[in-house]
Amino acid sequence: MLRYLLSRLLRAVLTIAAVVTFAFVVLRLSGDPALLIMSVDAPPEAVEAFRAAWGLDRPVWEQYLRYFVQVAQGNLGQSMRDGRPALTVVMERVPETLALTLPAFAMKLLIGIPAGIYAALNRNRLADRLTMVISVAGFTVPSFVLALILVLIFAVNLGWLPSGGAESWRHAILPVITLGLSGAAILARFTRSAMLEVLGQPYIRAASAKGLPWRRVVTDHALPNAAIPTVTIIGFMVGSLVAGAVVVESVFSWPGVGRLLVVAVSNRDLAIVQTILLLVAMTMVCANLIVDMLYGWIDPRLRTARAAGG
Amino acid sequence: MSPQDAAAATLPAPAEAGRGRASIVRLLEAWPPAVLLALVWIAGMLLVALFADSLAPYSFTALDLRARLSPPVFMGGDWRHILGSDELGRDVLSRLIVSIRMSALIAFGATIISAVLGTSLGLLAAHFRGRIEQVVLALVDFQASMPFLIIALSVLAFFGNALPLFIALMGFHGWERYARIARGLTIAANEQGYASAVRQLGAGPARIYGLHVLPNIASTLIVTMTLTFPEIILLESGLSFLGLGVQPPMTSLGNMVGYGREYITRAPWIMLSPAATIVLTTLSISLVGDWLRDRLDPTLR
Repeated sequence: MLRYLLSRLLRAVLTIAAVVTFAFVVLRLSGDPALLIMSVDAPPEAVEAFRAAWGLDRPVWEQYLRYFVQVAQGNLGQSMRDGRPALTVVMERVPETLALTLPAFAMKLLIGIPAGIYAALNRNRLADRLTMVISVAGFTVPSFVLALILVLIFAVNLGWLPSGGAESWRHAILPVITLGLSGAAILARFTRSAMLEVLGQPYIRAASAKGLPWRRVVTDHALPNAAIPTVTIIGFMVGSLVAGAVVVESVFSWPGVGRLLVVAVSNRDLAIVQTILLLVAMTMVCANLIVDMLYGWIDPRLRTARAAGG
Repeated sequence: MSPQDAAAATLPAPAEAGRGRASIVRLLEAWPPAVLLALVWIAGMLLVALFADSLAPYSFTALDLRARLSPPVFMGGDWRHILGSDELGRDVLSRLIVSIRMSALIAFGATIISAVLGTSLGLLAAHFRGRIEQVVLALVDFQASMPFLIIALSVLAFFGNALPLFIALMGFHGWERYARIARGLTIAANEQGYASAVRQLGAGPARIYGLHVLPNIASTLIVTMTLTFPEIILLESGLSFLGLGVQPPMTSLGNMVGYGREYITRAPWIMLSPAATIVLTTLSISLVGDWLRDRLDPTLR
């Protein structure tokens, strides 16, 4: 078990290193940073001085190592727009994004999982068909279209809710519903197929055959086993809490990380983009680690297999 | 006509009717109406994309300043602009047709890139095993652990945007799935009789994989294509909607929804027809994909 966790931890560190390398390579490939920041007609001496100051006249591998050290120290450069440290600018926006993604996450779990379980237990009945139709719609309607339809109905026609901004909790309702509905649809579909797979297993028939009430069969045998694949997709949703709202934040002009990213990309504010990239990578890696640990906890097969086989 | 003749003529009839009904039921089970409709819609979209220039009633950039924001026919407009016009008097139908072509071009280009890239890497990993396989698997893990939208946005920020680059970038979406599937199935195929039989006969790797292994694993890869294709459409339209994908004066479906959103109260038709096209197209491909999966590959999910 410990070895299993250690290998997962190593893998997490490697993923972070890969993302940092990706950022470094892309940053260097995209052109000379000196010319990018200084402007093309700057005097050559000034460009040379800038290169020396930032270590750009050093060999590439040394720049690469320096870059790693800087990132590890949390020094991610300054935002080109207001000159403040990029990490501060991004961190300011995180609570705003969480204010949308956390309630949406709760909504996904509370609607998606029960709907998926219910559909699987009533396979091919009306409720199942209906859940699947809604779920396919949730999967194929892009979030910006869903958002605009909600705006058209609740803000433009009915006038009940504001169409954008972040002044009060009422401004959060439409974005949260947009995020929650599409996530719930995906989760319902996933939970249903996980449940159906488990319900077809011989141990379910064995449990009913020995006279266990159906309710007990479901709660004691089907649900715990169906939880294993479902945890993976939930882990992915946890990982996207920080930056999973790029499109929705932009539609509703919500001042979160996603909106910041879109503005930074169109202004080519590279320090901000790079900081968000690393932040997302960290979140995803942490979420995956938690999922791996949960696996060890809910799936005893994994524990014994790893302990025996290494 | 004798009674026997009449009986002989009428006797087979009920049985035939029964068989007829059964065959209709079987036909409907094999070709569900929803899938047929989806196929018709996809074929229509392909025709529109292929013949966009001759179908569009106006040039997609032509201005008609006297008919700005004119409503579509079904909302009380006239027949000159069937789906209405936008804030510069450009014909929405013409722009929609050209946008369908652009979105189809990007989605096809990107799907092919992603399938070829992923399948080749998967085959390489399965053929060489060892260190090459580890590198490919590490790349797969990296790609699968990051939300692709964020990677795409950072690449766009660093490199700027041009159409070939944008198509290539979209081609990096989903390659890891082809790589995983191709690797797994090829390893399995290499252990089966037919692959080693061809190898014993002296065939080189290109012949073994190209002529024997690939056709055997193709159905699973095609099903994967029907899953990634609508995702690429959604990704492209999402980025274009944010103003970071296809750039004006070119237009794509997401692009149209993006600027139509400014006129959502005064002229909702600018965004409604491209939005409906996106939804119907992705829905159709998903339906066809599910149906193909059931027919070609019962082991998937």
